[in-house]
Amino acid sequence: MYIEYIKSAISSIRNNKGRSFLTMLGIIIGISAVLTVLIIGDGMKATVNGEMDSIGATTISVSLDTTKTEKTFSKEELDIIESNISDIMGISPELQFGGYFVAGQKEYDAFVTGSTPAPELSGSVTMEHGRFLTKADVDDGKGVIVLSQSAANIIFGYEDAVGRTVTLDSYGEETELTVIGIRKDNSMDTAYASYGDEPTLMASIPYTTMADAYGFSLDEFVDSFSIYLDSEDKDKVLAQTRAVVENVTGLRGENAVKVSSGYGFDQTTDTILSIITAVVAIIAAISLLVGGIGVMNIMTVSVTERTREIGIRKSLGARTSSILTQFLAEASILTFTGGIIGIILGLTLSYTICTLIDFEFVVNPLLVAVVVVISTSIGLFFGIYPARRAARLDPIEALRTE
Amino acid sequence: MKKLVEIRDVCKVYNPGENEVRALDHVSLIIGEGEFVAIIGQSGSGKSTLMNMLGCLDTPTSGKYFLHGQDVSHMTDDEQSDVRNREIGFIFQGFNLIPSLTALENVELPLIYRGVGKKERDKLSKKALASVGLANRMDHKPSEMSGGQQQRVAIARAIAQAPPILLADEPTGNLDSGSSKEIINIIKRLYREGRTVIIITHDPGIARQARRIITISDGRIVSDIMNPDYQQSS
Repeated sequence: MYIEYIKSAISSIRNNKGRSFLTMLGIIIGISAVLTVLIIGDGMKATVNGEMDSIGATTISVSLDTTKTEKTFSKEELDIIESNISDIMGISPELQFGGYFVAGQKEYDAFVTGSTPAPELSGSVTMEHGRFLTKADVDDGKGVIVLSQSAANIIFGYEDAVGRTVTLDSYGEETELTVIGIRKDNSMDTAYASYGDEPTLMASIPYTTMADAYGFSLDEFVDSFSIYLDSEDKDKVLAQTRAVVENVTGLRGENAVKVSSGYGFDQTTDTILSIITAVVAIIAAISLLVGGIGVMNIMTVSVTERTREIGIRKSLGARTSSILTQFLAEASILTFTGGIIGIILGLTLSYTICTLIDFEFVVNPLLVAVVVVISTSIGLFFGIYPARRAARLDPIEALRTE
Repeated sequence: MKKLVEIRDVCKVYNPGENEVRALDHVSLIIGEGEFVAIIGQSGSGKSTLMNMLGCLDTPTSGKYFLHGQDVSHMTDDEQSDVRNREIGFIFQGFNLIPSLTALENVELPLIYRGVGKKERDKLSKKALASVGLANRMDHKPSEMSGGQQQRVAIARAIAQAPPILLADEPTGNLDSGSSKEIINIIKRLYREGRTVIIITHDPGIARQARRIITISDGRIVSDIMNPDYQQSS
């Protein structure tokens, strides 16, 4: 019996082609706008994540929960951990301290990272002149330093300062260091170096040298390190890291080892991008709402125009539910069809835009399915009011109208 | 003769209170199976209200209506719909066909609401259209047919599922004299085939065609006679 109602709904849509199309247009625009925004949002996420990976966000950070254990990593333990995790470029404690560089008569604010060869091996540091830290530099705690481009420029007035010396003043203690390389500036280097009259200069030294310079014992100090990945197989490395670290440190089962992927960049950017996408999608959804109200409007007009038809149907034995079903079917078919056309339009549009601005074109089939369900539900939701009005008409009154 | 319609002391009052209108005032009426009845009255006499009552489109303010022995005076909308679908075939003055549907589709409507399957529906509808002489007009829309033809489609729709009562409200009111005669002849034939026919009209000429004539005025039945002029043959 329901097939008959759907048939009669289709025939009434066909009988009002122009009007039905205009009604659908609201839904088409709404659905295609929402879909386009969401797909471009996904493409933006995929693209940005890809770029984050390529600029060295492919790190995993490991730290010990200081509230649960007093243990720290010794240099020997770090070396064993490094050699026991497969598919990585290396690990580095990335200790960071402030201080001053003294060169000639001048003093500069400094920000020094105690590192290993790993950042360069993984590609997150690129050299401009000379070389980066080597394993020998770290093992022997050599007095060497790698300056950022801007640091070299400010201290020496020119870039290629390989072979020159610079003194690191670690709040009292002075250590003479030989410049072995100049690394390309990253955004942080540039930002700090151009900070007005008192630039902060960035540099890397072996973390063993750092322990000597700042006068702390390595065995009691290092409670975290970063793993620099070789491949894109972050998940594979993540899977083995905890076990290796727990084994080496003897912290098995104490739940004191924290492993997190990346510097948190991935999650943060994901969240920010999702918020942006959501905001724009909400704006697009408003157009969908307007489309839905359009459907309600047209259905109300249609009910008024067809009052007599409703009266006839009721006099012939149509129940309230039959009339309700017929009009709801009409509204849902309108919005379902509009939804399908909207999806085709949205896919075309988002593909074109993604191609033009070099975003990845990612389509989640679930998203498309949800959009179809939503567009049909809009018909049901906005069709209910006019359909109920139709179903409740008094047949005598309805038959009397012209 | 079995009682088909039994109305007991029915009143229908609009706007109860100061400006109340008594459209039906203590009306009682029995119509047996196989009768051919004309209900005649001027406009405002209450004949439309009586027709709505008989057609289960309306319920009485007081009194009882038994149709086929079943009390139908106080039913819900959906129960009334079911009774109309099962018991009554309507023929209206304005034909009341749905303009967007073909003749065949219009005739099928009451069968759809009864839940008759597609094949059976098709068969019954075609048979009904053939019996009013429209076998060759089944795919025409109402706008492509003359008034007489449209009323014949309406009759086919009323008889397709063989309800016990045919209720005709001014069936020739919108037709020229030629078509009127045609329609009256079809209605008479349906009566001779055994259906109960009730015609509501203000036209004495139409009323004279019936076997029994009930006159209504000011909401009361003022006369109820067997028609002395009734001619079996015409």
